[in-house]
Amino acid sequence: MADEASLDHVYRILSTAFDATFYRLVYPDIAQAGIEPLRHYADAGWREGRDPTAWFSTRAYRDANPDLGEVDPFHHYLTAGWREGRSPEPSVHGAPYLWRQADAGHATDWGFDRPRTRPPSPPRPPVPGPGPDAARALVEPEFDTDFYLWANRDIAELGIEPLNHFLHTGWREGRDPRRDFSVSDYLELNPDVAAVGMNPFVHWLLAGRAEGRVAGYDLGFRYQVLQRLEPMADRLALAAERAAKVRTKPANILVEALAGRRSAAGDLHITFSHDDYTTNVGGVQLCIQREAAAMAALGRDHLHLHPPSHWPIVRGSGDVAALGVVWNGKPIGAFPAVDLIAALKPGPAKARRGFAIHNLLGHAPDEVIAILGAAGMGAGHIWLHDFTSLCAGYHLMRNEVADCGAPPPDSPACGLCVYGPYRAAQVAAHARLFEALDLTVVAPSRSTYELWRARTTAPADQPHLIAPLARLVPREATATPARQGPLRVAFLGMPSPHKGWPAFRDLAERFEDDPRYEFLHLASAPVKGIRFAFHKVAVTAKRPRAMLDALETLGIDVAILWSLCRETFSFTVHEVAAAGVAILTRPDSGNIAAFTDEGGHGRVLSGEDELFGLFERGEVLALSRAIRQPAHFDLAYSALTVDLLEGA
Amino acid sequence: MKVLCFSSFTFSYLNRARVLYQTLRKFHPDWELAALITDRPPLGFHFDAAREPFDRVVWAEDLGIEAFPGWLFKHDVVEACTAVKGPFLHQACASGADIVIYLDPDTALFAPLDPLIERLRTAEIALTPHLLDPNTDRAAILDHDLSASRTGIFNLGFVAVRATGEGARFAAWWNDRLLDYCYDDIPMGLFVDQRWCDHVPALFSHVDIIRDPGFNVASWNLSQRRLAIDGQGAILVNGSPLRFWHFTKLGPTGDVMTKRYAGDNYPVYEIWRWYKDQVTAATDPSIPTRYWAYDQFSDGTPIARAHRLVYRERPDLQAAFPDPFDARPGGFRSWLAREGLIDGEVG
Repeated sequence: MADEASLDHVYRILSTAFDATFYRLVYPDIAQAGIEPLRHYADAGWREGRDPTAWFSTRAYRDANPDLGEVDPFHHYLTAGWREGRSPEPSVHGAPYLWRQADAGHATDWGFDRPRTRPPSPPRPPVPGPGPDAARALVEPEFDTDFYLWANRDIAELGIEPLNHFLHTGWREGRDPRRDFSVSDYLELNPDVAAVGMNPFVHWLLAGRAEGRVAGYDLGFRYQVLQRLEPMADRLALAAERAAKVRTKPANILVEALAGRRSAAGDLHITFSHDDYTTNVGGVQLCIQREAAAMAALGRDHLHLHPPSHWPIVRGSGDVAALGVVWNGKPIGAFPAVDLIAALKPGPAKARRGFAIHNLLGHAPDEVIAILGAAGMGAGHIWLHDFTSLCAGYHLMRNEVADCGAPPPDSPACGLCVYGPYRAAQVAAHARLFEALDLTVVAPSRSTYELWRARTTAPADQPHLIAPLARLVPREATATPARQGPLRVAFLGMPSPHKGWPAFRDLAERFEDDPRYEFLHLASAPVKGIRFAFHKVAVTAKRPRAMLDALETLGIDVAILWSLCRETFSFTVHEVAAAGVAILTRPDSGNIAAFTDEGGHGRVLSGEDELFGLFERGEVLALSRAIRQPAHFDLAYSALTVDLLEGA
Repeated sequence: MKVLCFSSFTFSYLNRARVLYQTLRKFHPDWELAALITDRPPLGFHFDAAREPFDRVVWAEDLGIEAFPGWLFKHDVVEACTAVKGPFLHQACASGADIVIYLDPDTALFAPLDPLIERLRTAEIALTPHLLDPNTDRAAILDHDLSASRTGIFNLGFVAVRATGEGARFAAWWNDRLLDYCYDDIPMGLFVDQRWCDHVPALFSHVDIIRDPGFNVASWNLSQRRLAIDGQGAILVNGSPLRFWHFTKLGPTGDVMTKRYAGDNYPVYEIWRWYKDQVTAATDPSIPTRYWAYDQFSDGTPIARAHRLVYRERPDLQAAFPDPFDARPGGFRSWLAREGLIDGEVG
């Protein structure tokens, strides 16, 4: 559901930490060419390995985080990496730059530690095992040169003979001789081999394979996700630290801003969500943008409230924090909740007033109730864009690795989960809202409502509505000539485990040489280390149809929408169906599975085994466009809460 | 049914024991929980038993073991903490409890042990084998089947008895054996308390060998046990609810064995992640790592295993030095120095 960041948005983020003086001084070619440094960095510099500031090394960050793929490392660090606990390394140009600045009288209040001198390394002991010629003869027929060059671009670029490199230094650097042998795993699994300092691949070929030693672990991607899982306590401490740094503005600024009204009649709509929809990009933000635009068209004032800095769960009454305020589409700053409560007044008796809680993350329920009370509001909507009202893990992904379906809170599974200890407070906060406010629950899909209804503690007669965020509108298919050739199978968007990228990657790698299939990744940025085709597609507010158009132009036959979590509403599945592409999905992908099943847009498979079997046996070929002759549609987007207002 | 559950540990394992007792309290608030400690609190650590998640502490030195200092000296930390299980179990059978359960400090419950209590209505001794299914993979046979052949068929991280009948007879026998022969001496046919229990099915009746895969899951049986978590949030092991896990070898060694045998069975890693978090939260930084009050002479000189072995094998030394920890001149420490077995004053 997430949209891709627009370039303007990228510039805005980079500009918060980019050091143009550094960039000009360190890279005189940029200054000489008269290119604007930030623009150069964002457009080309990071790809060329240039550093944006003294404290950040683009290359080091990329090397330390090989999972990132082809994204700007600095942008990643600023938007996500710091939160994920990834650390930057200073630029190699950093220290000389600072010293130069200091020499010129431009003192900074920070610097680098003196470079540490490394003690000279002792001479390497001879490698046990067969001599160099025998080792080479042993390894050569088992070594995958193509893989080695593909996995080690530096070796390819330097033109070094791959086998030589592996035998001399590659194995010591943990480089693998072929896809199915892991140097580091083998050494960890076999401490006897590690202890003698022998080339692990040579050992395996010579003895280990016959002894039944395995060539590496088979841990699956979820193992890696669990290794990176951040304790909630750390995330909350970080959130508190950031919240403490938020500077609030004086109350008079708020009062003055709110005085600038659209509606003389006092019509007002208040929305709550987890962030500022005007500056952040994503599905919920796009929804609130649509709602805000429709409110503006109705002439109603719109007050949007959000935590000014990221807060991962519902806020307790003891966690004092300010609220970010957006008034009629314009962010006006952060203010203490008491100032907001004092500034709001009930409107005239005939004023049309309502509210929508899109998300309660970062909000304290009593504060929400007091704010709405001050504005004279009691009836409104609460949206189920996610499952925040059921658990602090609002995607219902236990430990971020598996869909949990919100089992009973005292279940063993919740006891294991990082979100388990925070679930009760999250549920209680929502129960408080259901008790104090006249709320209508709005689910963007029936499957979302049904799960929510089965698991919530809200009263059984809590009013509800099902309101899809988009719907298919029939249209004539654009005349595209029937395409010959292999079945085109695509993965769309961010290559994250949540979205099922590892399953697609494994599928594409398994069938990469199969002439029946062609695999493509359609997204705004490519992934490092894949061997199948990438097509750049950037969906923006200005180009909302970019994905739909790309799917049609490329003649994609099948899309693998292998989301591991329950999607409450998937724009992607609607786009894919609109473009006449067949969908393959998992049973617990929420709206994706339900939509696919109900509309006959593809197949809901039991799991990865069935998916692979379908390709193995070629049954998936029946889903080609040529055979299906699919209908085509346009997408009509909803205006969310505005669509639900009587007489609107 | 009055149930007494105990674990045996030193202060360096207090963190793990706390996690175990927290889970015991959660699932069995009515059980009496005892902590058997073979140690003394480290300096700088304030041990307040009333604030711990167990009901009472029993110090090994209070078990009434004859000539305790000399007896203790014969054991290293693992041997000592294992050996005291025998006297405790024996005495606990006469304490008024109906059922006595031992669990290693590095175990943790994930569901109630009610089925065990049910089994002990008819059975009188309950044991869990290391393996319930034979391995066929060569590496697994070497790592697990042959290892169990050397160290014992049953894992004594768990044992439960009825406090009467065969249970009490087992406890008395185990007490006797462990007081004299609880050593890590595999060539002699001893692996602390475990090899002894290979005899149990032969020596005692009413023995229940628990074949429920939800009991005592550990790295040594993961090759034959598959974890799953169902839609109701139950953790299942080969389809049975997970009762308790044995988190043996917390650290890199345990991680390697777990990864080797769990493979892509990710709930295993979820369980380990949880356990590591719990242990970290239960760790008191004022307890030094690997601390044991009895790993040094009274002057602070570390005791080597060789010192214990020579003392263990020489009744003359045991008679001459009833408190071998005492480092004053004329003591065992001086004797070791005189024999060139330790540095320092010969006294």
